[in-house]
Amino acid sequence: MHIGAVDQAATLGTSWLHRSWPIAKLVAFALVLAAAMVTWNLLVLLGIVVLLSAAIVSSRVKPGLAFTLAAYPAFFAAVFALASAPDVLSGFVIVLKALAAGLAAVTVALTTPYPQIFAPVQRVVPGIVGDALLMTYRSTFLLLDKFANLMTAVRLRSGVSVGQPVRAARATTQALGGLLLYSFDLSQRDYDIMRVRGYQDRLRVAVHPSTSRAADAVLVATTLAALATSLLWRIAADSLNPYSWLVPIPALFALLAALVSSRRKS
Amino acid sequence: MSHIHIPDGVLPLWLWGAGWLLTLALVVIAGKVAERHEMRRKVPLLGVIAALMLVAMSSEIVPLAYHINLTVVGGILLGPVLSVIVAFIVQVVLALLGHGGVTVIGLNTLITGAEMVLGWALFHMLVSMLSRRRAGLAAGIATVLTLALTTTMLVGIVWLGGSGATGRETGALDPADLKFENPFATGVFSVGLFSGGEEHADETDPAADEHAQEPTLSVGRFAAVVYTLGPLGWLIEALVTAGIVGYVARVRPTLILSGALAEKQRRIPGDEAGGL
Repeated sequence: MHIGAVDQAATLGTSWLHRSWPIAKLVAFALVLAAAMVTWNLLVLLGIVVLLSAAIVSSRVKPGLAFTLAAYPAFFAAVFALASAPDVLSGFVIVLKALAAGLAAVTVALTTPYPQIFAPVQRVVPGIVGDALLMTYRSTFLLLDKFANLMTAVRLRSGVSVGQPVRAARATTQALGGLLLYSFDLSQRDYDIMRVRGYQDRLRVAVHPSTSRAADAVLVATTLAALATSLLWRIAADSLNPYSWLVPIPALFALLAALVSSRRKS
Repeated sequence: MSHIHIPDGVLPLWLWGAGWLLTLALVVIAGKVAERHEMRRKVPLLGVIAALMLVAMSSEIVPLAYHINLTVVGGILLGPVLSVIVAFIVQVVLALLGHGGVTVIGLNTLITGAEMVLGWALFHMLVSMLSRRRAGLAAGIATVLTLALTTTMLVGIVWLGGSGATGRETGALDPADLKFENPFATGVFSVGLFSGGEEHADETDPAADEHAQEPTLSVGRFAAVVYTLGPLGWLIEALVTAGIVGYVARVRPTLILSGALAEKQRRIPGDEAGGL
């Protein structure tokens, strides 16, 4: 997982998706996820995947990072499909569902800083859970840095090598043990600092306001159309199935437009 | 098996919905209990343990390409109440990274939470049976037992969702002749929108019978794969957990051996005042 790279892309990006209202993005995410869940039609799913690819290209995040992250659930879904799918086509559908859901999640994560994603969640969960979500975000980067330094130190002392898995495992374990002790001290220090700064009730994060209502509307309308298409092909499959090949075509045009636009801007 | 890598839309609504409901109920109860017992000072600790689990999940052991989870370590350190909260947080963050579906956050939290709580309970039981000096061994055994149980839980979930959930139509394309076909010819409106289209209104229709006999998710094959590959993962996780817990037990035992497991104070004869 590339947690640091994801945060960097979300924080430093300036595309229309980065500037969109976080709540609009979460609504769009829910809609596109529902679209991927409802359908078992291979071509409808393909359309959703192409549409999400267009969103990623237009957001100007590194496509390699986005697709690597989305490939992770697709890979595990492939293992699951291999182990349990009744036939090859069902297996492909399971993998495409995972890819679509993964791309949707990654698109939100790569264009929205975590605190902005957690802010709406924080309002509906108990205070301690919401605060812990934000503390997790902060601690993750501190620990990632610390763990990277520890592993560098271990590697420099030849603690990790491909030819010696037992030694490598022992070195990794000790590094994690050291990290655990460090994290305890860190949590104690964090609490002391938070108390000094007035922490009593809960941490509060304000959701960024929308910078472009039109962009938000386009985002929600597009994903609503994707869900409507998915539902339509599910309910009226009787008459619509022979025309399934039509579904990916608008998505392909969107991808083409995003590619041309990103070329011009670069 | 700290989480299941089943994509969104494969398991039926009633199953993942029940998982979400149960998880939310548990998280709310755990949140209330934590706040009643003045556990707010542990908020940073919750954050760092969740972060530690995420960091561990992002680091592979060379050259086995296996990522550890540290669920049992987290459970031992946090206890049962806070473990439920951390399990939920970890799954939310993982889902945001595409590492596990959003709809299965509930089921994943139940599995991770069960792993942490079981790990904590077994560790405490084993340490009191063995000895405080064998905390690492106790943690290793607790990890293997816990992972075996949660893997069975995972197979149970797939079995629950598998019988009806995956006997579905894949839609437009017939791979045999590459022709588009109508998978819902037996009744469009009888198809459960979120249940996967496995129900048919007209049960006497021969086509419906044909659909009913379609191959469904092979739970047996899935179980065979999981129970064959799983033990290697259990062993690695157990060794890592034993190593970490053993290390912490040596360096700072109060972190994991507190409460009933704490070392009893030795009274030096003639020092009844405790050294004061």
